[in-house]
Amino acid sequence: MSATNDPKLEARILDYLKSRIPGGRDFSLANVSRIAVGWSHETWLFDLHYREDGREINTGMCLRRDPGNALLRHLSSLDEQYRVLKCLQDTALPTPKVYWFEDDLAILDMPFLVMEKVPGSCPSPWGREGRAYYQAAAERGTLPKSFTSTLATLHTLDWRAAGLEFLGVPATGPEFALREIAKWKELIALSDAAPEPILTDLIAWLEANAPSSQHVTLVHGAYRTGNLLIDDDRISAVLDWELQVLGDPMYDVAYVLSDLNREGTPLLSNLVDRDAFFRDYERETGFTIDIERCRYYNALYAMRSVAFWMSASGLYASGRSDDIRLARTAWSVPVVLERAATELGY
Amino acid sequence: MNADQLLERIATTLKRDIGPAVEGEYPKTQAFMAAVVLQKLGRELGLAAVHQAADEADTQALLDDLRVALEQSPAPAAVTAAVAGLAAARDDAALCALISALYAARAELGEQRFDALLGRVRKNLRASIDRRMVYAA
Repeated sequence: MSATNDPKLEARILDYLKSRIPGGRDFSLANVSRIAVGWSHETWLFDLHYREDGREINTGMCLRRDPGNALLRHLSSLDEQYRVLKCLQDTALPTPKVYWFEDDLAILDMPFLVMEKVPGSCPSPWGREGRAYYQAAAERGTLPKSFTSTLATLHTLDWRAAGLEFLGVPATGPEFALREIAKWKELIALSDAAPEPILTDLIAWLEANAPSSQHVTLVHGAYRTGNLLIDDDRISAVLDWELQVLGDPMYDVAYVLSDLNREGTPLLSNLVDRDAFFRDYERETGFTIDIERCRYYNALYAMRSVAFWMSASGLYASGRSDDIRLARTAWSVPVVLERAATELGY
Repeated sequence: MNADQLLERIATTLKRDIGPAVEGEYPKTQAFMAAVVLQKLGRELGLAAVHQAADEADTQALLDDLRVALEQSPAPAAVTAAVAGLAAARDDAALCALISALYAARAELGEQRFDALLGRVRKNLRASIDRRMVYAA
């Protein structure tokens, strides 16, 4: 782990943590690093050491700061992430325990939340090493089962009892899909991107063909390897709570089935055998996977991806972000549009 | 050395020499991404003139075909206006307006004619995206 090269920030984080743990003393931070994951918020990992009631306490923490120029801007707030994670804390779904959310800019210049650093690793599925990791895990067999089982837990948890209604409950029928389309159209409009005729075609097609949802469940919105923390060949935490909605569980299933989330392997999300996923998911949820609806949502994901990349490259182009990864996404737009054209049959 | 060749060379240096020497996960990723951006920009610049000429020729061919199609059988006024708009502007905004007009007039056009007109537009969209994929992929 590398140092932050920002001792002032480390000192301010430490001051904040001291204020939150009034009974503690001899505080120090170790292994502070900013990690290059996620697009919307800065993510910092560190270990906090202190003494309390004569005990030595070492605890891993994760701090996410919202620089205000986030990829999803108003569509994803740390406040909402905090509320969602709080709601999920006492459910069977493995998620990090959240400690605090602060929107007082005087503390760390930006809104931030602090949560538990859950044991485990989160190999990126995109590189050679990550692919090899997931391939080996697929052969051992435990992690793929945990992947499917955790998604089933997510889709069958009682979201009303968990208090997640604040996410907005869609009516039955096409409302869920139409709401998603409207959300991503808004982000596209905010990005000031140049007009894209294939995108216009895609949106018109999606609006004309919005399917009816049969079930309303919690939907993660980006359920794949890379957004799941793994410990001892099991999912130790579902991460990346930025796109969650209440809606059609097939939206997540479509994401799992998508070619976008695997590279050079027939394994879903570089990890799970397709037949095994169908069998285990349907058995554990009682839902039947609807391939036609998944195809539709796959096209909707293309629209969402274009919205992301337009927003991302727009943030860099306008000077609101210096993250060069965002500049690179300008060339992701045509790649996704090409896939969309194929989805639409041309 | 052309601009695209220069960018390619800088990208190689960034990727081969500078990136590996950078410490820290975040700045190392930034160095690598900078190389990727320069490489893609170089390729796009190198093909810009050829692609622009192909786009212009495709737009003219589309307009010729649409004129014939509309002469054979009148279309809703909004579609005719959108075709005229494309003829005047010859840009992506006008092409988007034409696509929107076709979808809006779908019932009036009937499925067969809608499919034929949209299919003709899509032929251009496919050719254009294939060109962009040469440098974007």
